[in-house]
Amino acid sequence: MDWLEQELKQALRREDPSPGFEARVAAAVGRPASPRVAVMPRWLPAAAAIAIIAVSGGAAYRHHQGVVAKEQLMLAMRITAGSLNHIQSHVKESR
Amino acid sequence: MKSSAILLALALAVHAQQVKLNFDRLEGKASDMVDLSLNSSTLQFAARFLDSKDPDEAQVKKLIAGIEGIYVKSFEFKSEGVWTQADLDTVRNQLKGPEWMRMIRFKSAEDGENAEVFVRNEGQKITGITIISAAPKQLTVVHIAGAVDMDSLARLSGHFGLPKLELTPPPKPKKD
Repeated sequence: MDWLEQELKQALRREDPSPGFEARVAAAVGRPASPRVAVMPRWLPAAAAIAIIAVSGGAAYRHHQGVVAKEQLMLAMRITAGSLNHIQSHVKESR
Repeated sequence: MKSSAILLALALAVHAQQVKLNFDRLEGKASDMVDLSLNSSTLQFAARFLDSKDPDEAQVKKLIAGIEGIYVKSFEFKSEGVWTQADLDTVRNQLKGPEWMRMIRFKSAEDGENAEVFVRNEGQKITGITIISAAPKQLTVVHIAGAVDMDSLARLSGHFGLPKLELTPPPKPKKD
């Protein structure tokens, strides 16, 4: 047996735990877990989805309103142009 | 405070409209009706949706630049004699101020059509135009409030599939 073997046996020999070790382990296991840092609330994805739907729905409604306003404007202009055209053609005829 | 703000808003709205087109009596009797009230904010909002590449829409965009409101009432009736001169007088009576001038008037005894164009002048600017066009089974009144560019208005006749006509006032009769 050489010196290395002697050293290993010495280092890895079986050793009984110190008194109170079992109680310390049991106490550590029963300790409450440390608080987590960033916890996402369960309602957050749902709220985000609702917000996205509301924003995109609002934008779509706004766009629809704009298209309706444009159509009303074009109709008003068509009636105006038609009336003026009609009047002008009558005036030209009468000259 | 709140009521005075409402009154102020109402006064501004009335000022913008200038002429009230009140044809409640005819609304129930019309077979077809168009009733459009486009105030300044609606016009500005609508203008954002106009396509400058479309010739009609580009022309409209140019025209509405200084306009405060466009108000249209157009009726079609199944029978003649539904509208009366009294209905037209409700509009005409509002156009008697010194700032208003009748630019065009024609009356056709043959087909019973008549039409008038009134223009509102403030200084050198035209700040309103009212068109009354009536036929036995049809009545249309258009009021445009605000700075009206007559050239742009005249150019409308070249759009919407309408033949191009020049909008010029009739020559004044020569005094002998």
